[in-house]
Order: sequence, then structure tokens, then C-alpha cells
Amino acid sequence: MEQLKISGLNFTYPGRDGKDLSDISLTVQKGDFILLFGRSGCGKSTFLKQLKPAIAPYGRRSGRIEYDGTEITELSERDQSSKIGFVSQNPENQIVTDKVWHELAFGLESLGYDNRTIRLRVAEMASFFGIQDWFLKPVNELSGGQRQILNLASVMVMQPEVLLLDEPTSQLDPIAVSGFLAMLRRINEELGVTILLSEHHLEEVLPICSRVLFMEGGRLLLDVTPRELGSCMKRLKSEMTEALPACVKIYAAFSEGETPITVREAKQWLSTQISPAPKSPASPEDKPLFPRRNVQEPAVRLEEIWYRYEKKAEDIVKGVSMEIPQGCLYGIVGGNGVGKSTLLSVIGGVNQPYRGKVKLMGVALPKIPNGERYRGLIGYLPQDPCSLFVRNTVGRDLEDMAYAAFSDRQTAQKRMERVIDFFHLKPLLGRHPYDLSGGEQQCAALAKVLLTDPRIILLDEPTKGIDAVFKKRLSKLFYTLKEQGKTVILVSHDIDFCAHYMDFCALMFNGEIISENETRKFFMGNSFYTTAANRIARGIFPGGLTSEDVIEQCRKNRIGG
Amino acid sequence: MSKKPDRRLIFSVVLIFLAIPLTIAFGMSVLHDRRYYFVSVAILIYTMLPFLLSFEHRRPKAREVILICSLSAISVIGRAAFFMIPEFKPVAAIVIIAGICLGPESGFLVGALSGFVSNFFFGQGAWTPWQMFSFGIIGFLAGFLHQRGILNENRAVLCVFGGLSTFVIYGGLMNLSSALTVSPGFGQDVFWATFLAGIPFDLVHAASTVIFLLFIAKPMTERLIRIRVKYGLMEDKDSSAQ
Amino acid sequence: MTTENNGRDAFSAYHPVTLFLYFCTVLFFSMFFLHPVLLAISLASVFLYSVLLSGRKAVRFNLLWMLPVTLLIALVNPLLNHSGATILLYVNDNPITLESTVFGLLSAAAFVSVVIGFSCFNVVMTSDKLMYLFGRMIPVLSLMFSMTLRLVPRYKAQIRKISEAQKCIGCDVSQGGIFQRIRNGVHIVSILITWALENAVETADSMKARGFGLKGRTTFSIYSWKRRDKTLLAVQLALLAVVFAGMGMGAFETACFPFVRIAGLSGKSVAFFAAYALFCLLPAIVDGKEYFVWNSLKSAG
Repeated sequence: MEQLKISGLNFTYPGRDGKDLSDISLTVQKGDFILLFGRSGCGKSTFLKQLKPAIAPYGRRSGRIEYDGTEITELSERDQSSKIGFVSQNPENQIVTDKVWHELAFGLESLGYDNRTIRLRVAEMASFFGIQDWFLKPVNELSGGQRQILNLASVMVMQPEVLLLDEPTSQLDPIAVSGFLAMLRRINEELGVTILLSEHHLEEVLPICSRVLFMEGGRLLLDVTPRELGSCMKRLKSEMTEALPACVKIYAAFSEGETPITVREAKQWLSTQISPAPKSPASPEDKPLFPRRNVQEPAVRLEEIWYRYEKKAEDIVKGVSMEIPQGCLYGIVGGNGVGKSTLLSVIGGVNQPYRGKVKLMGVALPKIPNGERYRGLIGYLPQDPCSLFVRNTVGRDLEDMAYAAFSDRQTAQKRMERVIDFFHLKPLLGRHPYDLSGGEQQCAALAKVLLTDPRIILLDEPTKGIDAVFKKRLSKLFYTLKEQGKTVILVSHDIDFCAHYMDFCALMFNGEIISENETRKFFMGNSFYTTAANRIARGIFPGGLTSEDVIEQCRKNRIGG
Repeated sequence: MSKKPDRRLIFSVVLIFLAIPLTIAFGMSVLHDRRYYFVSVAILIYTMLPFLLSFEHRRPKAREVILICSLSAISVIGRAAFFMIPEFKPVAAIVIIAGICLGPESGFLVGALSGFVSNFFFGQGAWTPWQMFSFGIIGFLAGFLHQRGILNENRAVLCVFGGLSTFVIYGGLMNLSSALTVSPGFGQDVFWATFLAGIPFDLVHAASTVIFLLFIAKPMTERLIRIRVKYGLMEDKDSSAQ
Repeated sequence: MTTENNGRDAFSAYHPVTLFLYFCTVLFFSMFFLHPVLLAISLASVFLYSVLLSGRKAVRFNLLWMLPVTLLIALVNPLLNHSGATILLYVNDNPITLESTVFGLLSAAAFVSVVIGFSCFNVVMTSDKLMYLFGRMIPVLSLMFSMTLRLVPRYKAQIRKISEAQKCIGCDVSQGGIFQRIRNGVHIVSILITWALENAVETADSMKARGFGLKGRTTFSIYSWKRRDKTLLAVQLALLAVVFAGMGMGAFETACFPFVRIAGLSGKSVAFFAAYALFCLLPAIVDGKEYFVWNSLKSAG
């Protein structure tokens, strides 16, 4: 049955010339699980919000959106609130009240249900989502993943027929992402709720969704099944092909038609293509090693670092020793709450270890005066770039920083111009930092950090909430920095990003560095904590780390013709 | 719509002609030495009720509600951040800015809510209604004077108003409350001694308000105005798209 | 908060209305009635309840902080207030009167009862309970109370993040001269404000998306009336009726000026005081009963 019928939808934000959504037509059947996919800023959020008039942005709209045959703006506010649920990106911002139980009840209170009904529905939902254990807790004690589950649950208590989700997992760590998506799958399969989801984590969504929509520049370019996506994207020659999961990418490089959508399927396909013993397995040693510049002092040297936030608290960093050579890209990976960010803040001098030594460029950190430390030695980009912006526009923000860092106005100007060119910030200079997209914010913040021309650059989750195209751009910036002899150290959940672009990687677990090696060797040594491409190729091409590697190996072995 | 003002009118009439005289009568006849204390607490609460109830009855918009809460939370955080210096708190400054940018009603609410919630962290006590009322009235007054064109974003005027209102209204009322707990009425030496003992603290508080206004008035007003413009807050076009 | 419920107290698990009634009554009588017997009852019972709630910590707090304050108030009055008819002695030519000595003692006792009473209030009346109580009368404001409580810890965490970030670009409050420090401090505050306000808009959307602003909003609570709550309330109301009757008959009348008049004890007034004492001791009675029930269960098992 048709639940939503969208015909000829156009939308323009106030004061803009082009259309932000143009001529979108689409029919959504009851029980569909639809993935909306595209670059950030392609109009996904704008589109989703059109389906929920209560929060639709101001602007000019034309075309029709019918919900069960009624124009959506003519639905009563009550129906709109209860039948169409909306979950957005930031888990923190959606939580209204201070207790979990109250948050769950919020929507039903608005709808005016009596205590008995609310009690029943809240209990049902809490059981469905498995949140009875934290039912009475204050929300600020929850983890990010739990918060997003809470947001989902507090929309679900209103028993919506359609659920709209705008990049709900972009702020979560991988484990929380899987948990959240598994919950969505249950909602779709067990409760029959129609789902429209915009997402960057294709690898996990493709197997559970029923249709994929691809958007670019406010247009709907594709409306296909998950298995058709790979070949269709290839035909489109879109730069977002980059974002496809390894299983799709590898298959689509050789064959047309329906692609595998899970690691298992891709592995099966690969093993049918090739006999068990490949001709020339590329062992890790065959690859050229990254030159290690041992002659210089290491950029960072940690000697038995111990750190905890408070005297009585638990240790977060437990005796970490490591050396990071100058001029390399170094990634620290690991799960949530293992102390990665804390370790980075210790390297950056934000937190002082209570035992052990931090040496930067051969000098003990406490001996470097503050003036020098953050003026040319360390540049630190925190997880939330917004915590750096002070001024109303990106331009004034940079100016402020430049004049504070260089007493000489001319040097400051010059430095600013260089940074602006480097990050292509010209068009953004007049904008308010909060009006930028996630990727643009990341760049503006990084620009601010790099103004002082630091030699060691520390980045906390720089790829969080950024689309594949932007990630590639970021990696190019990192390479340029490396060529300039800078050391870039980043902490990330993003295994694929680290595997592709880092020189060295380290795995952190429970406050300790468990393993550390050149990237390729590092991931070859892991069997689970590694890229999808590597998992597909395992046992077939031992050397394949990225999908490009595997594709190349396949070419060598003449698969697909 | 005609029903609402009626209800409010009835409420005020009941309050002025029934509740207040009854309260005074009860205090005078039963409470003897505690009558002033009792009557002043009661009147304080009666004065706050119309503000709170009229806000409640006009069913405020989500954005209005969250804005008031955000500002209150900021002032609570501010109070917590400077807790080691007694009476050095930015609450009054933030409340004044709220009153100016968002109007007298919101000013009152930010003040009263800050008072109540901050005591939730520092401990409720007999002082809670006094603090809620004092901060609330300061916010209300700031908004009211701004509407009349007397108080503008000029920093000097703002600081003078901030210092005076903190010293006279907040200081005066809080000292009155402590004086009334330890003395049987107005006028005795005990009353004045207690009242005057608070003045050094009031001076610190007034100075802190001036300092905070001096530094945060401009950035904060800028930001509030941006939000108002960008999202059409506090205006009626809040409801639906198109 | 100075004290915490250590889990031994069973009274605080009763329905919020009964708890609120308890505190209102005790605080009302301690604040506004200076009758010595009444005050002695209030003081003894709030002291007992604070110990039941927080154990030894409460005793320490009460003795360490309350004793000096009591002495101060009790001394300041006779020394500074010379009204009253009965002169006891002269200090520096100033008369010390019996009336003002008595008033000093009584108001000191009242002050202490109120402070300890509120310290119990702060432990027992959690935000959930207050929200439930006010939720019926002023639903929007009680929601705002809850929202503000949610924002405070969130902003606290954000301030920490911001100051760390600012430290790393050399704009820390612990760096530079005093003017620079203030400037950096103001930066941190304005970043917080911008951040808070920008994010608030999304929260408002989340409220609207879940139907905030529709007519006929209700207020949900996790509390329900059990039989024991109703019993307790009935007992409370009955006792209160007796106490208020006593008040009406002038059994608690106390005036210190111009001369001390304290309603004396009679057979009738003893009943009123007993009713008040019973009311004030309800937490102790409930806790005591609970203690014996558990003990007998344990020994039976």
C-alpha cells in the first residue's frame, strides 16, 4: 500500500537562487526500508524534513507530498506528531528532559494520554529496546550510543507509521552504530514501520534495507535495490562511488549486475573465481616499507605514561610508551572509551600525566614554555570543532587567532592567506562557523589550528560525520602536511581511513597500546579488527588491505575476463 | 480568547482582596513575633504566581521554552564556576541580558528558574523563594526599562543598572530575609545589625554583576540577536512551514 | 548537596505528596511558631531524620555548623535588642532583657530546625518528585525545571571541552597576563553561549517533532498511590486536623515582646503537642517498623 506519495517536489531556502531540492518524485510503500545516500549537503536532510512539516525549514516549496492520500501539510498537527517520527544526527540535542523515563514519556504527554496509557506504552518500549536497566537514570550518565537509542525509543513510543532518520549514527562509535542499526532492523521487520534513513555507513545498512535512493545536488538520481547500487553508481561515474562498501566495490570492478552486499557473499564469490592457492600471494614484505627516519629525534616520545582524571578515579592511560617518528602519519585506533582521546590530550599537554615523561622533538613537555608550545610546536584539533570558534564569521575567527599568534601584522596576514588557500576557505570566510557543514567546520577548525604552523598536529576523530569525498580531501591535506615534514597523529574509530592513509597504526585497548606497526603489517596481524576488504580477501589474497589492493590482485589473477 | 484575561483578573482580585488581607490577619493574630517574616514570604510567593501562571496559560512555544532553560542553565553553571568566591556570581548579569534581549517576562522566568535550579545543586533552603523573586524581578525590570527605552545596550548604563539592582533589590531583599529570621520585627538594633552585616557581600555581588556585564554583555547580546534573527524566535511565525 | 540518602530510609519511598506534606508542615511550624515545646519537637525529629538519612555524616554536620550559628543568634539578640520589660542585668550600661534572651534562644532553635529540615528535604525530594508535585499545577514550568536540570551537567562537560580546546590554541585562562586571562575567560563563556544557543534550536525541533505545543498536554509520573501511601496520608491528615485545632485554640501562642507570654501546658494542649510530635516522628516510626519487619523476616528465615 502506498504510504507516501511525493510528486514534483521542489524546495528553495530563502535568499538562494538555485533549487535545494528539485523535482523529486517518489512513492513509498508501507514497510519499506529506504536508504538515502549522497554527499553531505546534497539535500538529504532537507528532503527528510519536508516529510515532517512541524520541523520543515522555511523556504519556498512546490509539488505535492501525500501521506495516505492526504496532503501532508493538511494533516492535523496531532497526526503529524504521532504518525511521523523523526530522529536526527546529534544524540545530545534531541534529549529534552533530565531523566530517561521522562524523555520516553515526553511525546505521549504532548499527545495528552493519561497516566495509565503512558505507563503501558513506556514499559512496552523500554522492554523492546532493552532499556529497563537505565530507566530511572539521569540522561547525562548514558553513553552516546545509549542516548541515540533513547531518542529512537522516545519517538517509537508514539507508535509512528513512518520513521525518518537523518544520519542518526554519524556521531556514534562503530559498536554503537551496529547496535543502533540492528534496532532499526527490528523495528522494520517486527513492527512493520516504514523507514527512511540517510546514512554514510553503507556497509551495514545495505544488507538490511530494501531500497536505496541516491541524491546529488538536490536531485534524486537513483532509486534501486541494494544489489543494483554498485553497477548503477559505476554507470553514473559519481565521486560517491568511493563511499561504497568493499564488497560492492570489488565485485563491481569486474562484473555487472547484482553485487554481493555482505562480506560473506563477497568472499564466496571471490572463492568461486579463484582456485584456493593463488599464484603469487603478495606477502606484506613485498610491499615497500615506509622510510623510517631514524636519524632524527622522534616527534613524540612517551615513556611509561600514566594518567587519570582524578586522584580517586581509575587510570585511563596505563603505562604507555611509544615513539612516533617525525614526518609521518600515525593513527591510533581502538574501541570506545579505551583512552585514545585522553592519550592524545596528554601528548598535547592539555592533561599532565602523574607518572612518566612526554618528550616532543626530544624536549620534555613541561620544559617547553606555553608560549612556544602552542605557537609552532603543537596543533590540536579536538573532537568537536565548534569548541574552537569564537567569532561570528570564519574570517574574523582566523584573523583573531593570527593576530594573537603573530605580533607582526604582515606575517599574520601572510600566514592567513596561506592557510586560506590551503584549505580553499575563500568562499566560507563570511559565513558563521555554525552554519557550515560538518566537513567544512572540520576544515575551518583545522585551518585555525594550522595558522601557527605547528610541527606536530594532533587530531581527535577528524573523520567523524564526514562523507567519503570529504575524507579523501582530508587525506590529501594530510599528505601535503607530511611532505612539509609535519607529523600528523590522529585518533580514530575509522579503520578504513587509517588503513588507507596512515603510515603507522597502533591499537589501544584498556589504557594500553596493544600493538603498533606499519599500517599494512599492523592490519595483516589482526583478524577481526581490520578492513572489510581484508576480511573478504583473507585466505585468498593475504596482501589485500584496501579494496584497491584486492581489485589489483584480482586483475593480476585475471578475474572477470 | 476573551476568557483568558478574565481569569487573570479574577485571580488578581482574589489575590489582592482576599489572600493578602487573610494572610496579614493570620500573621497578626496567630504569629506574634513571626508575623513580619510570614507575611513577607507569603507576599513574595503571591507576587510570583501571576507571572508563572500567565506564562503557563499562554502555552509558550518550544523555542521560547528551550531558550529560557538554556540561559538559566548557563547562569547556574556560572554560579557553580565561581563558587569559591562568596557572592561572586554572574546570575544577575545573565538575567539582565535575558530581560533586555527577550523581554520582561522571559527575564523574570530566567531569574526565577536560575534561582530555583541553582539551589537544587547548592541546597534548597528558606532563601529559595527570596532568591527566585529577587533575580526574577531584576530580569523583569531590565526588560521593562529596555522596552521603555531607558535601558539600552550601552555598556555604561547597563553596568550602572546592574550594580544598583543587584545591590538594592537582591541585596536588600536577601538581607531583609535574614534580618527577619533573627529579629522579631523591623527597626530594632538586631534587625539593622543583621541587615547591615550583609552589605559587604552585597557589594561583592554588585561588583561581580558589573564586571560580568562589562565583559559578556556585548558578545551575549550579539549571539542572542543572531539566534532570534536566524530562527525567528519569540515571533509568531514559529508554527509551520511555507 | 550536603547529604545523601544511604538507602536505610524507607519513608522517602512513600508517595511524593505525603513527603511534601510532611516537609511543608514541619518547615512551616518551625519557621513561624516559636513555642518552645513545638520547637523542641521539630528540632529533635528533624535531627533524628537527618541521622536516619545520612548517618554519622549528618551528626558531624549538625554539630560542626549548627552549634556555632545557634550560639551566635542566641547571643546577638540579647546584646543588641533591648526591648522587653524584664531587665536581667546591664552590660556596658545596656540592659539585657529576659524577653530578648528568650527570643534569641527560640529563633536560634527555629533557624537550626529549618536548616536541618531543608537538608533532609534536599535528600528526599529529588527532582522527579518535585516535578511530579508541580507537574499538575504548572506543567510547562516543571518541564522547564527538568530541562534546565538536564542542561546543567551538559554545559559543565562542554565548558571543560572548550577550555581544553582553547588551551591548545594558546587561549587558556591559565596563560598570559591578567587582562589576557580575562579575555580568554570571556572567550570561553561566549563560545559556550553560542554553542548552547545554536544547539538549543535542534532541541526545540525535537520537542516540536514530538508534538510539544499541542492542546491538552498531560504530565506523566512514575509514582502511583499504593494502599500504604493512602494510609499514611490519612494518618497525616488526621494528625494535622488535631494540630490545626490546637493552633485555632491558641495552644501554640508565643510572644516574647513586650513581655514573654507562652501558652502553658494543659491536658488538652498536651494532646495537641502529642499529635504534632507523632506527625514529626512519622519518618522514624516508618523506618523503625521497617527495621523490625526485616529483622523478624531474617530471623524467621
